[in-house]
Amino acid sequence: MKSRSCYSQPARQPVTDREFVSVVLAALVCVIACEARAHGGDAPRWMHAAVDSPLPAHDEQTNAVLLYSETDVSVISIDKIRTVERRVYRILRPEGRDYGTVLVTFRSPGEKVNNIHGWCIPAQGKDYEVKDKEAIEASLPKVEGSELISDVRAKILGIPAPDPGNVVGYEYELEENPLVLQESWVFQHQVPVQESHYSLLLPPGWEYKAGFLNYPEVQPVHSGDNSWNWVVRDIKGIRHEEDMPPVRGVEGRMIVNLFPPGGPGNKGFSNWSAMGAWYSALTNGRRDLSPEIKQKVSQLTSPTATPIEKMRAIASFLQHDIRYVAIELGIGGYQPHPATEVFSHRYGDCKDKATLMSAMLHEAGVDSYYVVINSERGSIVPQMPADSGGFDHVILAIQLPQGASLNGLGPVIKHPKLGSLLFFDPTDELTPFGQISGALQANYGLLVTPDGGELTEIPQQPSTMNSVRRTGKLTLDTQGNLTGDIEEVRLGDRAWRQRWELRTVTNNNDRIKPIENILAGSLSNFGIVKASVLNLTQFDQPFGYNYSFQASSYAKNAGSMLLVRPRVIGVKAQAIMETKDPRQYSIEFEGPVLDTDTFEITLPQGYVVDDVPPAVDADFGFASYHSKTEVKGNVLAYSRSFEIKELSVPVSRAQDLKKFYRIIASDERSTAILKPIN
Amino acid sequence: MKPLRLLWFTLGVLCLFSPVARAEDHPAINPEDLKMTADPVAPGASAIILYRQVDRDDRQDATHEMNFVRIKILKEEGRKYADVEIPYDKGSSTNIVNIQARTIHRDGSVSEFTSKPFDKSVVKARSLRYMAKTFTLPDVQVGSVIEYSYTLILPDGALYDSHWILSDELFTRDAKFSLKPYSSPYSGVRVRWSWHRLPPGTAEPQAGKDNVIRLEAQNIPAFQTEDYMPPENELKSRVDFTYTSDPEMDSAKYWKNRDKEFNGAVESFAGKRKAMESAVAEIVSPNDGPEVKLQKIYERVQKMRNLSYEQSKTLQEEKREKQKDNSNVEDVWKHGYGYGRELNWLFFALVKAAGFDAHVVFASDRSRYFFDPAYLDAQKLNTDLVIVKLNDADIFCDPGAEFTPFGLLMWSETAIQGLQVDNEGGAWLKTMTPKSSASRTINKAELTLSDTGDLEGKLSVTFTGLKAMELRTDERNEDEADRKKTLEDAVKADVPTSSEVELTNKPDWTNSSTPLVAEFKFKVEQWASPAGRKLMLPLGLFSAGERKLFEHQERIHPIYFHYPSEQDDDIVVTLPTGWHAVSLPKEVSLDQQVIVYSMKAEDNKSSLRIRRSLSIDVLYMLQKYYPALRNFFQNVRTTDEEQVLLQPASTTASN
Repeated sequence: MKSRSCYSQPARQPVTDREFVSVVLAALVCVIACEARAHGGDAPRWMHAAVDSPLPAHDEQTNAVLLYSETDVSVISIDKIRTVERRVYRILRPEGRDYGTVLVTFRSPGEKVNNIHGWCIPAQGKDYEVKDKEAIEASLPKVEGSELISDVRAKILGIPAPDPGNVVGYEYELEENPLVLQESWVFQHQVPVQESHYSLLLPPGWEYKAGFLNYPEVQPVHSGDNSWNWVVRDIKGIRHEEDMPPVRGVEGRMIVNLFPPGGPGNKGFSNWSAMGAWYSALTNGRRDLSPEIKQKVSQLTSPTATPIEKMRAIASFLQHDIRYVAIELGIGGYQPHPATEVFSHRYGDCKDKATLMSAMLHEAGVDSYYVVINSERGSIVPQMPADSGGFDHVILAIQLPQGASLNGLGPVIKHPKLGSLLFFDPTDELTPFGQISGALQANYGLLVTPDGGELTEIPQQPSTMNSVRRTGKLTLDTQGNLTGDIEEVRLGDRAWRQRWELRTVTNNNDRIKPIENILAGSLSNFGIVKASVLNLTQFDQPFGYNYSFQASSYAKNAGSMLLVRPRVIGVKAQAIMETKDPRQYSIEFEGPVLDTDTFEITLPQGYVVDDVPPAVDADFGFASYHSKTEVKGNVLAYSRSFEIKELSVPVSRAQDLKKFYRIIASDERSTAILKPIN
Repeated sequence: MKPLRLLWFTLGVLCLFSPVARAEDHPAINPEDLKMTADPVAPGASAIILYRQVDRDDRQDATHEMNFVRIKILKEEGRKYADVEIPYDKGSSTNIVNIQARTIHRDGSVSEFTSKPFDKSVVKARSLRYMAKTFTLPDVQVGSVIEYSYTLILPDGALYDSHWILSDELFTRDAKFSLKPYSSPYSGVRVRWSWHRLPPGTAEPQAGKDNVIRLEAQNIPAFQTEDYMPPENELKSRVDFTYTSDPEMDSAKYWKNRDKEFNGAVESFAGKRKAMESAVAEIVSPNDGPEVKLQKIYERVQKMRNLSYEQSKTLQEEKREKQKDNSNVEDVWKHGYGYGRELNWLFFALVKAAGFDAHVVFASDRSRYFFDPAYLDAQKLNTDLVIVKLNDADIFCDPGAEFTPFGLLMWSETAIQGLQVDNEGGAWLKTMTPKSSASRTINKAELTLSDTGDLEGKLSVTFTGLKAMELRTDERNEDEADRKKTLEDAVKADVPTSSEVELTNKPDWTNSSTPLVAEFKFKVEQWASPAGRKLMLPLGLFSAGERKLFEHQERIHPIYFHYPSEQDDDIVVTLPTGWHAVSLPKEVSLDQQVIVYSMKAEDNKSSLRIRRSLSIDVLYMLQKYYPALRNFFQNVRTTDEEQVLLQPASTTASN
């Protein structure tokens, strides 16, 4: 995981939160099996009514279908919302057994599951029933990079006999003291849905505003006083595809903002601007300074330093001296800890780091603004209504002084009121000041300003800022053995990845393994003669590898000829498009890239080049690939460039991407033929 | 809890909080440790454990264990060790108390951990409550030393085996352990202990005059994982303590006692001679020879419903099934179902009734550790099988392991020690080690090459022995769609480039006595790559499995294969009309005795025949042989990458 998530609220989705299920339930499946002793009891009428529903469109890979779902939200007061959730699944395949496990996440204290029931209607025999006391409660396990301490918990209930052909269903009631007066109805899931209902009951005088995402707007039926019902039918499932957009960016859902008489106060908002104001209020006073912080700023920044130098020094302090630790309890999922606490403990999560950095910058005479963002590009799109649940990360927009040189600073926008803003992520310890990781580029974040907030696009950096520049000078002997030296210079995420890999290495002997991995991807028989790493911890400098290797039998004999692959190392071709099923979703790249390889192979004495592979020039707009093999005296010279220019390839161009990768694969395997002079 | 015991318990807990009851004093921090920036004994480490101390006291009613750890942070990455989570089982009345923690800075100043640890409810259910004390230390920087201590309170009146796992993911410079074992003149319970891979120079753990067992160790390497390594338990430094009611310390006598116990259990369950004789009469015919008889009984038992391999069920489902328990082999036979061990013992009873000389063998599978009878730990005998004498040969059988072909055992039961029970003291024996030829993957392909380099045709893959067993076991509860995908993915994983694979037959997933045969439509685009007007066809079509095998130069642990196996490829490639081979790679044969590889390409004019074979007949290889092994697989890869140079007739003419 490249970016850490540290701004969160519990997902109010049972069962479909598959990641949570996979992490927690793997450990608990035995417990559930033992606990679910249960009682005989007929399934409720609403569940039996769904059994004979026609199945929504599906194929042989569909694990289950959601026959019926119902979400009834009753707003009691500004501090209490009660939600009843009902679902009925038909299990179609053995892998669909997961749907026999109900998982409800909630925060404790503050929220509670009042009751939870599950039933199974088997194809034959009596119904099964399980009740509250069979449920278990679990917390998030400690996973490196996630919250150390959190109040998110899950109620888990195992339903008996969730076997293919059987129908399982459940009902639970969740009571919450909402931190934000906003509800979300997700009606599109991994499995197809036959029918999904949502009802909203408001106290007198309350109002709501609903907006749909990834689905045409549905008009509700107004039933009685302050009660509305929405229904959708026959929704196709979201099947995972490699490099697809985040599920949040493609699933059909409705966001409902709630407005009590007199306004939502500090608990709600109707648009991005209001959400910005809400967040601004939440962080009010959090950036206050202590004498110790002021002293530290003074230590870090000399009075004669330029503003950019001051920013750089403070950024480095935040990246390397403030340890990432997430403690998120209650409103702490949104609200940062005070800068003074973060400073004295020397730890905090993303919003804590942003808070302390903003405070320190202010002391140094630089203004900065929170940017609330999602670490997966595509989760937040400009046309969507304000959604507090769509974010999981906080970074900063730093106001650059007028006339400051933008040289070397990638993610900068010109704001009409605030002037030049540089985006920076103090949680990302390995991306230097002036750059931002690929996942945050071309991503939308909520810029929180004194006037409120606005959804702002983080700029995409030039592809030259994320690259591997590899050059090799090599010599081939008559036996086909290849020896030589390689230099690699890495920038941006390409550097980040190697630094991260080496950072987690626990002994010096293993530092060579990343180079071995690179070579093993292309060479069958090699030994590394020497290797060194450049600028491992000098993050503002390009990362580098220099290494020498020998590869036995690199060139193959074919009669009197030698067959040589000019592309010595490095693999750009990918197989992600080589699937049977047609692509459903766009293909997302992590960031712009420009990689180049240059290999010069000195030929063995007595051999000349008989044939070289043809040059390749492929430019599909979103990406390009160029390679050529030339003969320069007794040197076989290969050069290529691989560039990702656009970060998203639409489904309509999926075949082009497939073609693009096949062209690369062919080039990477192509061979030059050497023949003896006589 | 009775009042008096409650009083003792309370006093015990209170004592833990008093200064006198703190862990045996740990040494003060050496000022040099505050200054150090790296440890030459652990180069490159992000952090090291300077000192660790574990003191367990099983003697009082309030059994407890005090833990202390001091860690030096050497790199930014090492700061993660300041996040601490200590799990405990509150449902069993264990608790964590007296947590103390602090950060010592390079200059010797101290930041105390003053907050309250977060008490996280990991899992809470009707019958259990797993908790964790979670906290993080303040102001931790590269160069800091962090230390924390806590006391684990164990439930009153319970005795738990304890384990000193010396190996940690961090290098440990100094460690001290002690155990005050429970002893009582009335109960007869006593502690045994064994140790494994202690660091060089470490004195064996011994009980002192005060009856406290102690161990001191230095320079314990950080534990690392590698591909193809033996079970972690075999590689970690550790001391294991077991409480036992059998005071016998003599190995022969100890196992004689166990033999008697085990034999009693087997006889009690399997001693239904008459019922078994009538059952045998239903399975075999009088004219069957001994081998046929034995196989028929094996197959019959294996086809019975094996409860050990079914999806786990809730109590409600079990209750509704009204499934009766089996008290003996007659019940198993009548009910038609049983757990693995019950089926094995039924098999044992049946073959005895059929007149075979047979014994039940209690063994310890090698998936988690390698068993040594010298450790006198009968709990480690976690599996069982049956040995049958057939024509003077010993046949090992485990029909309770579903899909195990007759004459084979599941991999974790092969090449292990087992106690053959006979009520006469038992006998240790070693189970079979199958040859690689017993577990094969055979790829047979008839393919056509296009002049653009695409390969297309039919592929048949046959899995035998343990290869077939693994597939059948893994897929036993899956549907046809999943099985199809599994087989197609297996083929794709073997091909070094993208391929299109479509299963065309319905393999037999249920019968362990026949190989699993899967047939496919198969296509690889651009398998042969152009070189001017020529095409180059690589030989290793199904060689992806060896592509990245043993790619690293350094190796720490021995190399461990689960079972011997073999892959044989026989590929016929019909060439495009008018094309022919200009040159063929030489035949290659690499023979390292326990690992053998061969590759041969034949020119049959309009077609090529490529045969490749790789057999591995070794389970365990010492680390010193790693360079040779790596070199072997590098040569395998080099040969797999050899290419046949093809050209059309017109090219020949122009040449």
